[in-house]
Amino acid sequence: MRAMKLPLALAIASTMGLSAPLLAADEDYRIVDKPLTLTIHFHSGDKIVYDNEWPVEKRAAELTGIQLDGVASMATQKSADAFNLMIASGDLADIVGGNRLKDGFNQYGQEGAFLPLNDLIDEHAPNIKAFFESRPDIKSAISAADGNIYYIPYLPEGDFGRMYFIRQDWLDILELETPTTVDELYEVLTAFRNDDPNGNGKKDEVPFLSRDWEEIVRLVILWDARTTGSDTFHDYYVKDGKVVHGYTEEEYKTGMKNLAKWYQEGLIDPEFFTRGKRSREVLFGDNLGGMTHDWYPSTTSFNVSLADKVPGFNLKAMPPPASPSGRQLEEHRVIPVKPDGWAISYSNEHPVETIKYFDFWFTELGRRLSNFGVEGEHYDLVDGKAIYKPEILNASDPVNAQMWNIGAQIPRGFPQDFEYQAQWTNEMGLESIALYEAGDYLTEQFLGVSMNPEEQNVYDKYQGNLLTYMLEMQQIWILGTEDVEAGWDKYQEQLDKLGYNKIIEVMQAAYDRQYGS
Amino acid sequence: MKNSSRTSSLIQHFKREWQIYLLLAPLVIWFLLFLYKPMYGLQIAFKDFSLFKGVDASPWVGLEHFRTLFDSDMFIRAIKNTFIISFLNLLIGFPTPIILALMFNEIAQGKFRKSLQTIVYLPHFISLVIIAGIVINIFSPSTGVVNLLLQKLGFEPIYFLTQPEWFRPIFIGSGIWQEAGFQSIVYLAAIAGVSPSLYESAVVDGASRWQMMWKITLPCILPTIIIMLIIRIGNLLEVGFELIILLYQPSTFQTADVINTFIYRQGLVGNQYDVAAAAGLFNAVVAFVLVMAANTISRRLTRTSLW
Repeated sequence: MRAMKLPLALAIASTMGLSAPLLAADEDYRIVDKPLTLTIHFHSGDKIVYDNEWPVEKRAAELTGIQLDGVASMATQKSADAFNLMIASGDLADIVGGNRLKDGFNQYGQEGAFLPLNDLIDEHAPNIKAFFESRPDIKSAISAADGNIYYIPYLPEGDFGRMYFIRQDWLDILELETPTTVDELYEVLTAFRNDDPNGNGKKDEVPFLSRDWEEIVRLVILWDARTTGSDTFHDYYVKDGKVVHGYTEEEYKTGMKNLAKWYQEGLIDPEFFTRGKRSREVLFGDNLGGMTHDWYPSTTSFNVSLADKVPGFNLKAMPPPASPSGRQLEEHRVIPVKPDGWAISYSNEHPVETIKYFDFWFTELGRRLSNFGVEGEHYDLVDGKAIYKPEILNASDPVNAQMWNIGAQIPRGFPQDFEYQAQWTNEMGLESIALYEAGDYLTEQFLGVSMNPEEQNVYDKYQGNLLTYMLEMQQIWILGTEDVEAGWDKYQEQLDKLGYNKIIEVMQAAYDRQYGS
Repeated sequence: MKNSSRTSSLIQHFKREWQIYLLLAPLVIWFLLFLYKPMYGLQIAFKDFSLFKGVDASPWVGLEHFRTLFDSDMFIRAIKNTFIISFLNLLIGFPTPIILALMFNEIAQGKFRKSLQTIVYLPHFISLVIIAGIVINIFSPSTGVVNLLLQKLGFEPIYFLTQPEWFRPIFIGSGIWQEAGFQSIVYLAAIAGVSPSLYESAVVDGASRWQMMWKITLPCILPTIIIMLIIRIGNLLEVGFELIILLYQPSTFQTADVINTFIYRQGLVGNQYDVAAAAGLFNAVVAFVLVMAANTISRRLTRTSLW
């Protein structure tokens, strides 16, 4: 039935003589007269493989005349393995896509595996071109060291991700105010630890917890340190035009000292390194956890899911506590461009058609299709705005999972529409966003550098061992195995020996070349 | 003339024994395909390898990757840890199944022995991931059995899996717990092969069970023990790194990071196939030297050897 709907509607409409604008609008998206099939290798997030039966793919094929035929196999579970195997075989699909492929696209692109897209975009992709003109920073961020663009990225929208959440019900029980500075936070967490807010008579409360141990480390920003510049943990960041790593700075030392103290005093989950991804479910579910720093949609949802199990359970977003210098920073935010997307391989015989097809997803209709699914099936257009159908919003599966199942919201190169998420974010989530929006706690992100082969070699040679060492010392310090103050000079020496300065040198050179004006 | 007669006798030989060669063929083909052909790829240890360019087209860089490795304290540390863990494993892990087999041998056949054997074999069939999960739970500071016991005895709980000094005992112990029972099968089979007449005459001579074990059982299974030891030494550097990856933490790297985990991080996580290949090649060369040495020593001392 569904398949008949559109042609039938068109037929009826055209006989009535009313169809002209609609028909013309749809015809505008047509790229080829004769249907064309291109192969695509798309393996993403270890779980999504391009499916020819996705309603979104079918609709796009109807509109553009280009049909994609997925060749990636679900037999390979790891997306990175699937990509590497395909590259090693030398037998590339016409289009290659997926997540975390920026480095692969840029490296193998410069070696000839993928086509440089700059001229193709200029001549055949007006919408992509317009986007890059409006965001030159993103264009710089995705360019390879040779200055070429090798892939069209997935562009998430919406700034907010992780936020501080505290148990308002515990604050109320202990008659405490929401902490506004790091010192007040220390008082509150100590009270959580000592004053039995869960009322079971045992000192079993875990004041601060996280499902990612990196989030515990991130607490050092409360003492003016930094842990990353992007949405990847332990990344470099840019300080006054200079690339640095937060784990080398004096503020980090201060942060580590305090963190070790907090750990010693039981303010931080004693098992945070081995607790694993379900710590929120376990510790909040058993009414043991007091505070966390995590994504707002999933964290606010505990208020609903635990309402019966833990009476009065109320996790509330709070502004980042101020550091000793008065800085209130939320380091995490949604990055405006992901290292995900798709590229045209060297063996593709239809590069012009392909770039036009890529451009389709940047048009209004293409963008809606990739964000909300198929009109009339998954969403309705109300006053020019896409609104999800109630059956989508009220289904038991989360909306994003439903979208993945129909081929929308997958990391093909397309601009995301935050409206998609806003429509299924609960009221508490929206309140949290408003709170963080009002405070303006976010900071500029470091979108990465594209290094040339020599620079990349230096980076590859040192980065792995350097980071390993940083993380090793981090744990040793927090767990109190070694004193921070005593080990700091040796740490600095060792960082230098492991090539920190060499890495900074090449990254700075690449940064200046890429973003320097 | 002589040559052709040798050829014809070789043909004769093949004609006569072809069934045996046919039986051998699958294994030879397997060796060629899966062990010898991949050796071609070893050359990437000396190349600046790019997946897209392939093995042949990637440029040579000589010993660059080996220099990188030996310049790195992390790799030196990994070598050191590999040897320490391997030798401890050999020292404690190798005699355990022998002792276990001897003990089983002293228990009379029956339900008790059968169920006991099943219990010690079982862990061998459990996936490593689950073994690691069990270990993490047992040693958990808040809910683990070990720490509950410690607390009952009045000690402070210990966060075992983040303490470098605890990593090796836990790793080696869990390895023995998993494999000792299964490995004892070989020795049980060897013990079963000892001629009963030896024991009968010993009983007539009035030997105690203890004496029979030392004077009869152990000498009779010694060749098996030696062969197992040589094989074990050949695999000495093949530390069970999967379990290490599942159990280690950055804070225990200083005692837990071995060559194979180093290769895993560099090669698979860091995509530096060439450096990882160099580390793997080094590992293989050391293992080769060790097994040659063990075989030679064993041949000189006990006249038992693999070849």
